[in-house]
Amino acid sequence: MSVFIAPLIVAGLTTALAIVITIVDAIVNNYGEVQIDINNGKRVLKVRGGAPLLTTLSSEGIFVPSACGGRGSCGACKVKVLSDVGPYLPTEIPYMSKEEIAKNIRLSCQIKVKKPIKIELPEELFNIRKFKGIVESLKDVTYDIKEVRIRLVEPAEISFKAGQYAQLVIPPYDNIRESTQRAYSISSPPSDKNHVEFLIRLVPGGIATTYVHKYMKEGDVLELVGPFGDFYMRDTNADMIMVAGGSGMAPIKSILLDMYERGITHRRVWYFFGARSGRDLYYLELFRELEKHWPNFKFIPALSEPRPEDNWDGEVGLITTVLERYLESIIPKDNSKEGYLCGSPGMINACIQVFERFGIKEVYYDKFA
Amino acid sequence: MKMTPKYIKAQENMKPGKITADGFLGNDDRNLVDIITTDEEEFSLLGMDFIEVAKLMRKLMKEGLKGLGQPIIYDKWEIKVDEARGHLPCPFQDGIFRKCVATVKNLKNGKEIVYSELSLHLLAAHHFLQGKGSKFRLEPTLIKEVLYD
Repeated sequence: MSVFIAPLIVAGLTTALAIVITIVDAIVNNYGEVQIDINNGKRVLKVRGGAPLLTTLSSEGIFVPSACGGRGSCGACKVKVLSDVGPYLPTEIPYMSKEEIAKNIRLSCQIKVKKPIKIELPEELFNIRKFKGIVESLKDVTYDIKEVRIRLVEPAEISFKAGQYAQLVIPPYDNIRESTQRAYSISSPPSDKNHVEFLIRLVPGGIATTYVHKYMKEGDVLELVGPFGDFYMRDTNADMIMVAGGSGMAPIKSILLDMYERGITHRRVWYFFGARSGRDLYYLELFRELEKHWPNFKFIPALSEPRPEDNWDGEVGLITTVLERYLESIIPKDNSKEGYLCGSPGMINACIQVFERFGIKEVYYDKFA
Repeated sequence: MKMTPKYIKAQENMKPGKITADGFLGNDDRNLVDIITTDEEEFSLLGMDFIEVAKLMRKLMKEGLKGLGQPIIYDKWEIKVDEARGHLPCPFQDGIFRKCVATVKNLKNGKEIVYSELSLHLLAAHHFLQGKGSKFRLEPTLIKEVLYD
């Protein structure tokens, strides 16, 4: 009997301490009801104070972009704060530029709602929702890119502009103990309201892409947040020069299918798809078929290092070289042009330089960064 | 050098799943300070300087970016740089870095190293080359063979 006394005493003390801590926490951190004024009174929330601004807003159905789920490791959840919330925290400083500090932009996952706060949010954030969906299909389109198709369940419909992206919530798996969020462009057209489709390339060591390629199964239930982004087709009559390779094809595919479905086929469109060799190509039949039904659309895949077994008779070279050749000699110069780019900052910067040489100033891009 | 709260927090952030799927420590069971101190000693024995090494690696990455994902030849190296969407935070919480990975091969001896913008920052600012067994571990002897042979 005496052998149980010491552990019982320790357990009792631990329990008592936990109770005391809970009571003190409830007293000290009880900020009561606090008001959040958004966009100078356009929306006013009355919330229970004490939690970070990011999670407080999401609990009210307002989703500020975050790639790390509020862990302070992505710097994406920036919000302009119009009232005093105290000095910048050491956890915010690494993510802030001097200009942002001058404008009182703060990391919403780091500042707590302890007193009335006034903030400014872009209007488009009010259209963002959290969705629950079921993985309907998983398909390898290349050796390292998967097409992921999700059927939406709650809500069952999504409204977005072709070209936008959503944040996929990756659940804990294997030795990953916390959920993570990552942004992926939606590759399905907006007309397919009950589904969202993504093209996801495996990034070695990546938390989200490892899950998608090695753990995700058809039938899995997933959450996603969106839509986000300002990469979409501009409503003009300008010719469209589109450049994207790899998984950068996703928003381009969505835009092209949307244009075709809505009958916006009077515009001339050239889509340059750059890849290294034959194994990096996909959806060739889809775009060749689109060319047959849309005379003003031209699909130009280019390989920088075709292999003999590819039997490639298409364009060869870096995509910027092929683009330049077409702008120089093939694409008519009789109409204004817009550029639409999706890819790495390096690719986008290189294409912008090419566009500048040909006087194309209106350039829109979804820079992977 | 002591395991101060800064290093304790950083080591915690280096575990699998915090920032990357595999983390930064591999199967190394030493603490962070021991890993850094040992690599600093080896750098010194090999006559290498962290700042100069980082400068050259940064230069090679910049050249590699011109290939837009395809390998390029620059001087005695073949360099390929891949980029993925998004950023990675430093486990020391002093910055975020593009997901940009360079594979640099010395064409004379065939040896290669792989590093990201983040691992370049970890080398330069924190003298951290990742734990033994980590996929992105930069062995000092291999750095010397690739960059200076």
